[in-house]
Amino acid sequence: MSKPILRIDNLHKKFKDTEVLKGVSLTVDEGEVVVIIGPSGTGKSTLLRCINRLIEPDAGEIYLGDEKIEPGVSNLSKVRQRIGMVFQDFNLFNHLTALQNVAIGPIKVKKMDKKAALKLAMQELERVGLADKANSYPAELSGGQKQRVAIARALAMDPEIMLFDEPTSALDPELIGEVLEVMKKLADAGMTMLVVSHEMGFAREAADRIVFLEDGVIVEMGPPEKIFNNPEKERTREFISKIARLHGKAQDVSGADLHD
Amino acid sequence: MYQGLICMIELIQFFIKIWPELYKGLIVSLQLSAGALVLGFAIGLPMALARTYGKGLLRTLATAYIEIIRGTPMIVQLFIIYYGLPDFGILLDRMPAAILALGINSSAYQAEYFRGAILSIDEGQGLAAQALGMTKSQTIVNIILPQALRIVLPPWSNEVVYMVKYTSVAFLIAVPELMARGKMLITQTFKPIETLFWVGVVYIIVLSIIAKIVDIFERKLAIPGFQMSRED
Repeated sequence: MSKPILRIDNLHKKFKDTEVLKGVSLTVDEGEVVVIIGPSGTGKSTLLRCINRLIEPDAGEIYLGDEKIEPGVSNLSKVRQRIGMVFQDFNLFNHLTALQNVAIGPIKVKKMDKKAALKLAMQELERVGLADKANSYPAELSGGQKQRVAIARALAMDPEIMLFDEPTSALDPELIGEVLEVMKKLADAGMTMLVVSHEMGFAREAADRIVFLEDGVIVEMGPPEKIFNNPEKERTREFISKIARLHGKAQDVSGADLHD
Repeated sequence: MYQGLICMIELIQFFIKIWPELYKGLIVSLQLSAGALVLGFAIGLPMALARTYGKGLLRTLATAYIEIIRGTPMIVQLFIIYYGLPDFGILLDRMPAAILALGINSSAYQAEYFRGAILSIDEGQGLAAQALGMTKSQTIVNIILPQALRIVLPPWSNEVVYMVKYTSVAFLIAVPELMARGKMLITQTFKPIETLFWVGVVYIIVLSIIAKIVDIFERKLAIPGFQMSRED
């Protein structure tokens, strides 16, 4: 289980005069679940988006498996097919049903036979527990259901790694649990995951490694017990206690859900 | 009371007399409208895409085209095409000239409707499509346009209504459409008020029917979450 799926080397990104990423290096191994935490505006989302080149980094290298991702050299469409992405605000395609949302990637991008793609999409919806919502449009789904469809949509492409960009931040507290449950199941099934999230319950239970990102640099990383209970850096300790206070309630709720 | 009834009967008798002529004119008006709308769509949509997604010269040209067409009166465009193009060896019949002028005029407005609709679609839609591995053109065709065309339908149906009325300018180059027939009937019958009254009535009835058809169309295409005009 130590084959690296994703390797980020010395990544830099500047927006106008603000340097958002100041040399981030990170490796994610096959089957590993890495959770990135850190104050808002420290480049967590930017980091994720640089990986599949929705944002073009200024400097640094990214390898997916053995292949270096280089704009102009590597086929970005091919690279993105291998990386699943789940957004904070779901971004389901509003004109398509849940089933069509999941099927459109395989149909249009992988040129899969339509019937086979719809069958696959149905299986993915079952996997996130939403087979009964297959014919609902996004506007007819709750936030939690939307996010689960979005996860199914990414899974239908059979990615090697899944990126989650604050997948529960736009959700009402009572809907967070169902999304985390799906993510937990994915992690248990061996999916390689890079997750930006402040859900401590999820991080504690599912993460192999926690990365604390602040001001565009990785301050500290390590297994959840160490980062949460016994961090080396004072900044990490302060931040952990801050989110523990803020998310304490939500954490209890989702934590309880996860134990079921 | 009795007098009024006589007037009514005479007015209706007059309508029965002129209807065959008005009908011929109406058909020409509808042909002009349909031709111009299709042409306007065929030019307008690429212009909208060029102005929204194009770079450099392409974008500049599309912007210039739209602004020049929108910034000049339709009659000027019609006369340039009908009276001006022959100077360059392009001689068009009245009907094609009128369709071309109306279509070009409409294309600029349609382009702006489309552009507005495209820009109103959340950026996340495109990001999600790209994250799946869709190319830019796949994203536009599969994700952006199906949504934009639904959003554009209510303003676009206004364009249909305008167009049917705008076709009346074609009578200036003697295209025998509804208004031109009306003008002809006036000189034949010396009854301008009655004639124009019935011309107006025909326009109103036809436009109501068209509005109804567009409405049914909108309902058929309606998807939960898309704001259609009647929900506003």
